[in-house]
Amino acid sequence: MIEITAAPPFLTVQDLGRPGYHAQGVPSGGAMDPWAFSVANALVGNVGTAAGLEWSLGSGRIQWHDAGAFALAGATVDATLDGAPVAMHRWYRAREGSVLALHRFAAGRFAYLACAGGIDTLPVLGSRATYLSARFGGLEGRLLRSGDRLEVGRSPVPLRGVGFTIPRELEPRYETAECRVVVGPHAALFGAESWSALTTTTYTIDSASDRMGYRLVGPPLQHQGHAALPSAPVCPGAVQVPAGGRPIVLMADAPTVGGYPVIAVVCSADLPLVAQRCPGEALRFRIVSVDDAQRALRRRAGAVHTIGQLVQGAAVRG
Amino acid sequence: MTAGEGGAIAPSIITPLGDCAVTIQIGDRADPVIARRVRALAADIHAAALAPVRDVALGYAALTVWYDALHTDYAAMVSALEPIVAAAATRLGAPATSAVTGREHVISVRYDGPDLEEVAQRTGLTTSDVVSRHSGRQYTVYFLGFVPGFAYLGELDSALVLPRRTEPRPRVPAGAVAIAGAQTAIYPYAIPGGWHLIGRTAVNLFDPRRDPPATLAPGDRVRFVAVEE
Repeated sequence: MIEITAAPPFLTVQDLGRPGYHAQGVPSGGAMDPWAFSVANALVGNVGTAAGLEWSLGSGRIQWHDAGAFALAGATVDATLDGAPVAMHRWYRAREGSVLALHRFAAGRFAYLACAGGIDTLPVLGSRATYLSARFGGLEGRLLRSGDRLEVGRSPVPLRGVGFTIPRELEPRYETAECRVVVGPHAALFGAESWSALTTTTYTIDSASDRMGYRLVGPPLQHQGHAALPSAPVCPGAVQVPAGGRPIVLMADAPTVGGYPVIAVVCSADLPLVAQRCPGEALRFRIVSVDDAQRALRRRAGAVHTIGQLVQGAAVRG
Repeated sequence: MTAGEGGAIAPSIITPLGDCAVTIQIGDRADPVIARRVRALAADIHAAALAPVRDVALGYAALTVWYDALHTDYAAMVSALEPIVAAAATRLGAPATSAVTGREHVISVRYDGPDLEEVAQRTGLTTSDVVSRHSGRQYTVYFLGFVPGFAYLGELDSALVLPRRTEPRPRVPAGAVAIAGAQTAIYPYAIPGGWHLIGRTAVNLFDPRRDPPATLAPGDRVRFVAVEE
């Protein structure tokens, strides 16, 4: 069991989401940065569906009531375990009573804490992901508070020896501001000027950005015809263009349908680049084919799988 | 792009929605006939049980098929869907039975919404006219979306059709009964919203512990009954 001894303002239980309920109006949700989330899980030998904690900005502390192992991934944070520095993308052993303190975010927006065995809250509609709008999933569908205690499942892999660090080339990296998009379903509503603007503008992330969507600041994109279409399904990564022309990138908890034209959709492999950008930071778009996007996604999944294999190998060798 | 009732049917348009979904556009407007075709096609795709399909989401005139892009690609997914879309287009007169045999719901509404007076003024009706026109007909659930359990119901009496509010409310209370365009809906949760609020109901529209969790389903029919308390 772990206890949130000092809660940051935005801490939730997340996993890879609940993808099968769009027709009921339920977004797939889950971790904003599934790349980092999956890497953290792989580092502690968890299965991909295990739940962890999503920590967005702000400092806080977590205490282990039973010995366990954990890893941090995603945003670069200054953290200590019982006073000793904790590196990103490496697994650590926590003793009974150990305290993990996360002091500040040096870069990025979402850090993930994976505990060996996974956070064991009650799954809702097949997932432990917290969905705040409808108040279900995670712990009572809400943000975690100081004093909350969370059960941790049994570790599937006996982790031994010193913490394994993943090779640099397999680490999640977020330096590039350029993210790949595929052309959206309403591409024909946009003229050459809008396409030029979309692919040459350096956008900045607006402060009005959350788990539902990130607003972008940049020159408005003009669309021909109606600004409002009959509502149709949308997905995380969809770049919606409302009447004012200021694009919004839909994120994990976005509504399942939208009535604004979708000019492009951020590739699944690059949505973490968007997720990890803070208000005021830059973002550019580059158009690729769906085939290229899917190849990037498969490469990503392969890299996470490799980390899992390396961890298992390290565990066996002890 | 679309067919009116009895008109020629333009082919559906299949486009990628990102790298994990395909959108099949059947029409270009909110229309009961097109909505029925969307529901029928969704039922056909479910019935086909294609291995890579993860979910099917509905809209007014389009549906989206989510698939596992780690184990198939866009071209293969489209090839698998095309015969289903083509077959659906050839039997328009007889939509899949699962799409028309919905359940009936009677929902009690207290018509005291904050926008009731304004709706009456803008439509040139009395408030009791607004209530009787809203409660005096049967609606069909076109689809669910936006937030869990939110059902798009149509069609509204043409005298009640108004554009959305210019300034959306930052918070619409759960249970609010609202109208916008030719549609009506109930807000299942307290969320931002731009529809006109004419009443409220106590009905629980979504419970994640139930299967299915949503009270209303596409193709269901809904009637509102005015109550005092």
